[in-house]
Amino acid sequence: MQTGQGRSELAQVFPPAADTFLRFAVVGIALLLLGLALGGWEFAESTYVTQEGWVEAQPVPFSHRHHVSDDGMDCRYCHTSVEEGPHAGLPPTHTCMTCHSQIWTGADPLAPVRQSQQTGEPIRWRRVAQLPDYVYFDHSIHIDRGVGCVECHGRVDQMPLTWRAKPFQMEFCLDCHRDPEARLRPPQLVTRMEPLGWSEAQARAFGRRVMAEHAIDPGLLDNCGICHR
Amino acid sequence: MSDGEQPGDRAPPATGRQFWRSLDELIDEPAFQARLARRFPAIARHAGDWRRRDILKCLGGAVALAGLDGCERAPDEEALPFVEAPEGHVPGIARSYATAFEYEGIAQPLIGKTREGRPIKLEGNPQHPASRGATDAITQAALLGLYDPDRSAAPRRLGAPADWALFDTELAALRERLDSTQGSGFRLLTGSTRSPTLLRQIGALLERWPRARWHAWSPVADGAGSGLPARQTRRLHLGEAHATVAFDADPLGPGPLQTWHATGWGQRRRAYQAGDGAAQLLVAEPTPTLTGIIAGERLIARADRMEPLLRALARALGVSGGGSAPRLSPAEQAFVAQAAKALDEQRGHGLVLVAEHHAPELQALARQIDAALGNLGRTSELAAQRGGPTAASLAELARDMAARQVETLFVLEANPLYAAPPALQFNRLFARVKQRIHAGLHVDETGAASHWHLPLAHALESWSDGEAADGSILLAQPLVRPWMNVRSRHELLSGLLGDPTPDRALVRATWALDGPQWAAALVQGWVDAPPPAQSAASASPEERPVLRTSSASATGLSLLVRPDPSIWDGSFASNPWLQETPKPLTKITWGNAVHISPALAEERGLANGDLVRLEAGGHSVTGPVWIVPGQERDTVLVHLGHGRSAGSRVAEGVGFSATPLLGLSPDADVRLTRMEGRDEVVTTQAHFRMEPDEFVRFVETAADPLPPEEPRPSFYPPQESKPAWGMAIDLDLCIGCNACVVACVAENNVPMVGKKQVAKGREMHWLRVDRYHSGSPDDPEHAFQPVPCMHCENAPCEMGCPVNAAVHSPDGLNLQVYNRCIGTRTCSAYCPYKVRRFNWFDYTGGDPPELKAQRNPDVTVRQRGVMEKCTYCIQRISDARIAAKKEDRPIADGEVVTACQAACPTQAIVFGDVSEADTQVSRKKATGRDYDLLAEANTRPRTTYQARIRKGERPA
Repeated sequence: MQTGQGRSELAQVFPPAADTFLRFAVVGIALLLLGLALGGWEFAESTYVTQEGWVEAQPVPFSHRHHVSDDGMDCRYCHTSVEEGPHAGLPPTHTCMTCHSQIWTGADPLAPVRQSQQTGEPIRWRRVAQLPDYVYFDHSIHIDRGVGCVECHGRVDQMPLTWRAKPFQMEFCLDCHRDPEARLRPPQLVTRMEPLGWSEAQARAFGRRVMAEHAIDPGLLDNCGICHR
Repeated sequence: MSDGEQPGDRAPPATGRQFWRSLDELIDEPAFQARLARRFPAIARHAGDWRRRDILKCLGGAVALAGLDGCERAPDEEALPFVEAPEGHVPGIARSYATAFEYEGIAQPLIGKTREGRPIKLEGNPQHPASRGATDAITQAALLGLYDPDRSAAPRRLGAPADWALFDTELAALRERLDSTQGSGFRLLTGSTRSPTLLRQIGALLERWPRARWHAWSPVADGAGSGLPARQTRRLHLGEAHATVAFDADPLGPGPLQTWHATGWGQRRRAYQAGDGAAQLLVAEPTPTLTGIIAGERLIARADRMEPLLRALARALGVSGGGSAPRLSPAEQAFVAQAAKALDEQRGHGLVLVAEHHAPELQALARQIDAALGNLGRTSELAAQRGGPTAASLAELARDMAARQVETLFVLEANPLYAAPPALQFNRLFARVKQRIHAGLHVDETGAASHWHLPLAHALESWSDGEAADGSILLAQPLVRPWMNVRSRHELLSGLLGDPTPDRALVRATWALDGPQWAAALVQGWVDAPPPAQSAASASPEERPVLRTSSASATGLSLLVRPDPSIWDGSFASNPWLQETPKPLTKITWGNAVHISPALAEERGLANGDLVRLEAGGHSVTGPVWIVPGQERDTVLVHLGHGRSAGSRVAEGVGFSATPLLGLSPDADVRLTRMEGRDEVVTTQAHFRMEPDEFVRFVETAADPLPPEEPRPSFYPPQESKPAWGMAIDLDLCIGCNACVVACVAENNVPMVGKKQVAKGREMHWLRVDRYHSGSPDDPEHAFQPVPCMHCENAPCEMGCPVNAAVHSPDGLNLQVYNRCIGTRTCSAYCPYKVRRFNWFDYTGGDPPELKAQRNPDVTVRQRGVMEKCTYCIQRISDARIAAKKEDRPIADGEVVTACQAACPTQAIVFGDVSEADTQVSRKKATGRDYDLLAEANTRPRTTYQARIRKGERPA
């Protein structure tokens, strides 16, 4: 083994401050990584990504608030297939024109609707409630079990223009699939937008009864194959 | 197509991105090096020094950064509602229509499933006896034919795009000329069709222009000697046949009658399994066929031995007409003795079959035997022919063309320039015809050589009718409105006659049904037409040129030319689903080969893939050889349909054409000469090999159970749930027909990968049909085994996945969560059954829009880099579960039918709840023939197999 004698002739490779630099660098890199992770998480959770509360520009400035709150229309008047099939369905131009051939017949904002009726070209809406392609959501079974529209779509009756009320991320779905109790209501009230006025205990008691009646087992509801195929 | 590129390989995606296989390959590319040197001289100096480790480091960084991809905001999507919603339309709910698909003159009864107006799946019509819900592979794939991006989209005149108006003008002139000359010089050439509406239209045409003539021709029925009664003169009821003796006949083999025959066979065999009667099958044949493989007794004999064998059988049963005693080998004598015994025991329930390409005297003798034993009318009947115009043959057309009597030739749904026998010299004669009009799905060889090519509507987008295998009349209604500028065959003929009528009106006029009757016929899919009266004429054997297999030739070789089991006579060559389906016996995909016996290969020193020239009667073809165990020593077999030179990008350049060997004289010399070089034959036979096991088990009779097995101990708790999905595959019923494979592809959006990728073992089929041999290569025992995912209760793949993308569902499904999968492929390495498939490339992203429209919207289209596998058709389970939940009831037995199960003509695949004892699947698993594949792996698979039964005699 060599002794230290030969080494003393060599110049110092690292200056005395090298240790300090190293310490700062280690801490700095750690902080940077942590910051990136936290920032990334925040970004992924941000409403920019989830689109929660962001209004989509639509060809027709359709107001759910006006049609639901002022006119008192039921969701199912337009979203006709919500009880039968996986999709709630957007109304065909024909449905819009049942009323708008009589009222607001010349209104400027409705020009694309009239044009669609004349040309046979569909209105190109921008989707607000949108799930990834690998998620298979079925409206009909949720309605059948008494999950209110408001649970996922929010107070649509208060939206002058439509926005996404809830973050449609997996966590949001799983919250309910793992604990549906407090989110079930009588089927005849699924489209009701106003709060039912139930206490948490009342809601849970009702939910428990529905779950027993329909054999809803939250243990089966959070398996991947329920939504992913 | 550039040099070195394999036919059928996917075109680069529309984005223009070219894929490379490895970074090394990319860096070594001279063009890349040159570009690098030009732009970054400093790096270029070191480019060659890159080491594997550095590349891996970069790769690691790239992969880590790729995670940022997940932070991207979902792109905005548009939603386009209807302007006027169609009546009864519910978005997301499939609608089904009864329809039919005709090929080789036989229509297949179908139910077409559509979503948002797009046909997405074909199922057999469960109400119709010729289907019982089942289909064959070719019919399953017909759906893709509808969406074929290479289909002809507009009329072409002299090769340049034209419009219908111009054609109609030309047609008017033609009509005027024909009216004045009574149709002199006009010829119509069609494929083999039995559509009553088309026949009615042809009848009207011949009545108006009496000097015109109609020629009908199919390369298979009129010359290939397929062994199939394509012009069905005798209708078989295999469900009634307790003992069947087949001479070179392959009733269960591919073709338009497969579903009808296999359904009957499955029915008979299941009854036998349940102790009702016998289900014996004795086959003498020169090359293994699906019928021969499932047969209890299989005698390997040259095609020319069928005559002495049949005569000996006639003598043994005391039927006159057998003639003098033929000389038989001991094996042949034993076969005849067994056949005679079986037929004698099953008087009234026996069936003697001779392939239709054998001499009419042999057919008559077989019928005589059946008549003497009282079988006629029970196991087979003469198929009465419906009235209509009589067609002349292709040979007569060629003769008249040579005599310059043909001025106008209208070719409807036929491709004689590719498939006509060379002796007719059709190509030369065709060029001499003054006016050549071709109507077809593709601009094929004939279309390219015609003055006019007219795009034909696909069968699934037009109205028609046709005759089913059982003789009933099916109505074919369109599943979608044509999106291209096409006309249906009926519209074309009505236009030719100067009275353009929509095809719906033409079909309806044929059947003259009132409103409610017509509606009822459309709902059920067939017309309750009275069966045609059996005329005396139809009872005599049909006179047509008989193609005897060449025999007693100098070299002693016997040549068989048969349609391809996947792409038939070439009409389906543009269908990638069929091209990539491994052929039942050889597992060859994307091409064909010269099939020879192991003994002949040894004698000539030939190995699989060696190029040979096959000569007969002055014509020759060159192709690679493939050694087929169990083929008769001196028999050589080639398949038709390949070697296309026009039609579609998928069809062109795949395999070699066997057309030159069609229509040879029986005495032609057959020579096999070795050529220099080799050609790659891509087969999946050796792919996804499992550890050695007794894969296919046998029992001697239906009453024998397999030896009981000790339950194996396991550390894992038993899985108990309700429902508990499971599958039973009865190997005694499986005939290896591939219907399940193509049905799975259609249902589950399984991508096709092309020849080059298949060669690397990267085919994506979720369900493969393994083929096993045991015993000597000259006469082995053959067996088929469909292998989907086993859905193991203790699944090794789930233990291997580092990101929990392979998980178990409470109802026993082994799930693959695509959005979690990061593509480590550990699960595939852990899977003992090798049923997992990896997306090496983006196989689907670059697909043209019409192919995207075909996809099943209920199944995720997988992206590059994820693993996929059989899901037990989880989308169908989900549908049934939601429907049952809405009614607060359990899912009924038989409510969930997987795609493979639905397509299976013999009902070999049964799916259901294994937690209940009274379900079909549980009853199957309780037969005593049930066994686990690779039982020592102790994975507790939910898919189990039932052992094959060697014999089919009635238990003593």
